[in-house]
Amino acid sequence: MSTPRNLTPVSVDPARLRLDAADGSAGTLLGMRCLDCSAYVFGLAVFCQACTSSRLEPADLSRSGILYSYTIVRVPPSGWPGAVPYVLGEVELPEGPHVLAEVIGVEEEDLRIGIDVKLALQAVTSGESEKPRIVYKWTPANCGQSEMREAHN
Amino acid sequence: MNRFTPGREVVVVGVGLHPFGRFRDKDLATLARDAVLESLEDCDVQWRDIQVAYFGHVYYHGMSVGETALASLGLTGIPIINVENACSSGSTAFWQAYWGITSGMYDLALAFGAEKVPGGPVTVTAADSPERFIGGDHMMAGYALRMRRYMSETGAPASALAQVTVKARQNASLNPYAHRKETYTVEDVLSSRPIADPLTLYQCCPTSEGSAAAVLCARDALGSYGLDDSRAVTVAAAALTSGNYNGRGSDHSAFSPYRTEPAAIAAYEMSGLGPEDVDLVQVHDAATIGELQQIEALQLTPKGEAWKATVEGRTALGGDLPVNTDGGLLAMGHPFGATGIRMVHETVTQLRGEAGPRQVANARVGLAQCSGAGDVTTVQLFKR
Repeated sequence: MSTPRNLTPVSVDPARLRLDAADGSAGTLLGMRCLDCSAYVFGLAVFCQACTSSRLEPADLSRSGILYSYTIVRVPPSGWPGAVPYVLGEVELPEGPHVLAEVIGVEEEDLRIGIDVKLALQAVTSGESEKPRIVYKWTPANCGQSEMREAHN
Repeated sequence: MNRFTPGREVVVVGVGLHPFGRFRDKDLATLARDAVLESLEDCDVQWRDIQVAYFGHVYYHGMSVGETALASLGLTGIPIINVENACSSGSTAFWQAYWGITSGMYDLALAFGAEKVPGGPVTVTAADSPERFIGGDHMMAGYALRMRRYMSETGAPASALAQVTVKARQNASLNPYAHRKETYTVEDVLSSRPIADPLTLYQCCPTSEGSAAAVLCARDALGSYGLDDSRAVTVAAAALTSGNYNGRGSDHSAFSPYRTEPAAIAAYEMSGLGPEDVDLVQVHDAATIGELQQIEALQLTPKGEAWKATVEGRTALGGDLPVNTDGGLLAMGHPFGATGIRMVHETVTQLRGEAGPRQVANARVGLAQCSGAGDVTTVQLFKR
């Protein structure tokens, strides 16, 4: 008989993704803006990567960007809990930083450099006893309501 | 970045190489030792005269493997330093040996590296990293992203990328040390198993085992150790940089090969040589796209045009800009800790005129560039 478990979802990386709903259905990409040179950094940082200033302020990053490049990964790295093949996209945010993540809800023939994409969150579970991790992903901007889907190992 | 002033002139007097491939019956320390023995024999230096040793390797095979490898040659009490700097571990060990001598601290130094890379896609982060869920930590997927962007920006066709492998295999077919010696056509390369589109298997370097070693000496001390400069090759520059966004404006791209530029510029400045002086080049071709972008970052062709130089045969043996003359990572194979010193081995062999069927005619200046995770870049220049 299994013991009761707390399966409240957690952010895949609290330094890069803040969950805005307890069930993981909403979240925001975290960044920092440099008060000296105005550059943005993806993720919580203590120094500016462009000018090394330590005068940074937290800045929520955009929920949309453009696809800078993409690849279809047919041989995944070890430990990858998702389906294979998967699309990996490098997305340029309006603030500057590039964010690498899986692109979901897209057909191969619709992939193009330069298409608009938006943030999508997905719960990923790697094992029975693991809490679901909410992972940030991209999906084409013209895709309907970004849905939350369960992915299991 | 900092500017360094070299002191004493440093020469490579001996090089050694263990074939690259799979050697399941040899442990890492034994692999490493064999290349060291060859490098000592190459220059007739006595092990007891070596004053410092730097060992490049990445994967864990127990602690202080450098000491284990060298203990079998005799316990001489010298400083032995184990160096991990990803795929640049070997070239970082070489850089340290160079600076140990040019600074005046040592006369004779050993740089060596060895690796037994596990099969399958190479990842950078630890097994419990969030990256495993995000899916972005996949070395060849990173190259594939760069490749698609490069093809889109420059108009390079897939066949031009495949030609990099075709050329690498041709060079390796003349090299008994290479992991992959079979030659391929462009069609063979493009129709091989897709790994991360548009990269196919034959456009990715094999994961390999192997080792390499180099013995470095201060030129002014050669006589003290019974050496002469008849086969010595001068280290004209040794530069090493890590990631630096500074001055790169809005370059936030996840994979920017052009971060090689600062190391290249530093090496050219140190040596007083320029891209126009370079007779042969070894670059970090972990994937086909890597070779093209490194050639451009080293200012050997204008940006976006290395693919044309490849198609025109300029980078082949016999071309005016021979690149990866021993087969490079794509065909020699890529045992991380050994790769940077393998490049030194090939450059020294070529500049000595000892490269046999793959000899580049009248080679006087050679460049070696090695990349590693963390945006590490090493650039070395050698001259006769």
